[in-house]
Amino acid sequence: MLEKKNTVAAVVLAALATSAGAQDGPVKVGFAADLTGACAALSEDGLNGAKIAAEEINARGGILGRPVELIVRDTQTKPDEGAKVARELIAKDRIDVLTGVCSSAVMLAESAVSAELKVPFYAAIGSTQRANIELYQPYFWQVQANATMEAYAAAEYVAKKPEWKKISALGSDYEWGHTSVAAFTERLKELRPDIAFADPIYAKVGETAMAPYITATLAQQPDAVFAPLFGPSLGATLKQGQGFGFFQKTNLVTLMTVDTLQSQGVSMPADNVYGIARAPFFALEQSPEVTAFIETYRAAYGEYPTDWAINAYDGLNFYAAVAEKAGTVEADAIIAALPQVSFDGLREKGLTIRALDGQMNAPVYVGKAAKVEGYDFPILTEVEKFEGAPLMPAEDLILQAREAAR
Amino acid sequence: MVLIQLVNGLMEGMTLFLIASGLTLIFGVTRIINFAHGSFYMLGAFLTYELVPLIGPGTLWGFFAAVAVSAAAVSALGILFEMTALRRIYGKDGILQLIVTVALVLIIRDLVRMTWGANSVPVQMPDALMGALVVGDTYFPLFPIAIFAAGLTVVLAMIWVIYFTRAGILLRAGTDDRGMVALLGVNEKLIFTAVFAAGAFLAGLAGGLSAPYGEVNYLLDTTIIVSAFIVCVIGGLGNLYGALAGALVVGVTKAIGVMYFPRLSMVLIFLIMAAVLIARSLGRQGGPAR
Repeated sequence: MLEKKNTVAAVVLAALATSAGAQDGPVKVGFAADLTGACAALSEDGLNGAKIAAEEINARGGILGRPVELIVRDTQTKPDEGAKVARELIAKDRIDVLTGVCSSAVMLAESAVSAELKVPFYAAIGSTQRANIELYQPYFWQVQANATMEAYAAAEYVAKKPEWKKISALGSDYEWGHTSVAAFTERLKELRPDIAFADPIYAKVGETAMAPYITATLAQQPDAVFAPLFGPSLGATLKQGQGFGFFQKTNLVTLMTVDTLQSQGVSMPADNVYGIARAPFFALEQSPEVTAFIETYRAAYGEYPTDWAINAYDGLNFYAAVAEKAGTVEADAIIAALPQVSFDGLREKGLTIRALDGQMNAPVYVGKAAKVEGYDFPILTEVEKFEGAPLMPAEDLILQAREAAR
Repeated sequence: MVLIQLVNGLMEGMTLFLIASGLTLIFGVTRIINFAHGSFYMLGAFLTYELVPLIGPGTLWGFFAAVAVSAAAVSALGILFEMTALRRIYGKDGILQLIVTVALVLIIRDLVRMTWGANSVPVQMPDALMGALVVGDTYFPLFPIAIFAAGLTVVLAMIWVIYFTRAGILLRAGTDDRGMVALLGVNEKLIFTAVFAAGAFLAGLAGGLSAPYGEVNYLLDTTIIVSAFIVCVIGGLGNLYGALAGALVVGVTKAIGVMYFPRLSMVLIFLIMAAVLIARSLGRQGGPAR
């Protein structure tokens, strides 16, 4: 009997503690990240950036006077596992906001859970435009340029090279590769009607024996090759292309974030590689905030921050700013406050979220890879920054795409 | 153009053969399907990454020495694994093989991730093999040609050992009739350990040789084991010549396919695999392993 009473008392106490916790305890950030599997390296960097953001927010008094707590879970880069982990974080840990994801597939799975359970969810690494367009839900936003915007930026850059008259595409054979090639081609055709396009070539995801694809691409005799490849396939193309004279015969325009630059090291081709990046630390305006972050990051992790680390850092700080504006972390108030906040991040000032699709007007950087004194890995030089707003898909196009998807 | 693609295909095929030959050799003798074979390959690549800067960095002999030492180290690990774990499960339920070898896959993967992190590591290519052989307007990359030559050397050495030495005779005898070999007073356990060591060595060698050309990261194990299995299915698991034929077929089909049927190039390999399975359920060469 006594035991039963105690149990009841414990349950009541626990209930009280939970309800009190929701108002006075820490602001809980659920970091459902792809810490193992294909996305592991990117997610780890993102987590490192978010940790620094959380420490700094806490040092200046937290969000609305409450400390920030990161609750980290691994999704194994699997959509079903991501959805499960997201549910657990929401149901058991009672998180206030969900983030951390890298893979597009896991991102869409987590976004569906966020919509169903009405918990805010933001992406700082994964960038599929489907989350903004066809599968948009009001509790979602993303703080970096989506894949379509990146492809548009690449098209704008390529358009400024009058000597490039024939373009090939070599992409990863899945949604991102295909939609990137489509968006790039569409924008570049508008900008430069004189350019000829060869048939796109696609390599299976994760392919590392790129020689046959390189040869097939070169057979098209392009002036430049737009290549939405990433990770192993990209690294293999850079290495193996050199043996085929790829970088003597043509130019490569591809995704080139800081982690890729680092892992290429000495084997980066000397010339003719152009990279698209999201937040290259060396090309950001070196404001006191940026230099301080680079120093803090290097002290903590012994390496330069990658694009993923910077965006995850910006992402959490942006959430803090939105919560301060809303005066609460309650989901609907956060969503209402979202488009009203103009945020000064590491990448630039005046970052905002468009209410229609949850897309931030985040910039895209394109530059030429080269070895530069002072870094033991190649960096991007002659970097051109493309403002986010003009790259964002037009509102009527989004509405049309949503209508078509329905 | 077709010529280059043919060369590309043969070169990829040779790397595939180096991996698949170890897998098929181990299966032929011990009847163990070693899922950890891809992990041995990956370890060979990471050890090469560590050793290249220590042994004559940039030189040709330094690179091959680093690869050989790495492969030997992987082979030693293979011996340890065979003696402590696999010996207990020979001839037992197939599910045990799966559990034991997949357990090793997971252990090695986690250890690699803990040691070298999640990002790809760059492996330095020997300076002499950096460039290309330029004939007119056509580039023939030197590094894969060198790997092809190295692979060919290994193939010839294997054929010599298996068909022209006493060790090879014992090995073939062990494959045909284990019991009989044991009755004749040959240490069967030693044959098994030696074969497993050789298989692991080949995997380590393949990993080391390919390291500068591909991407070296902790996901390499599963990527490679799938290709190795496809080769073995086409060639017939346990059949060395079959593995060679299978590897070259896969390499060349992919390369030529990309050229003429870009949308079908991946499917082509699986179509061949399916055709082989339907026509001869024991593999391209048919018949039991030898």
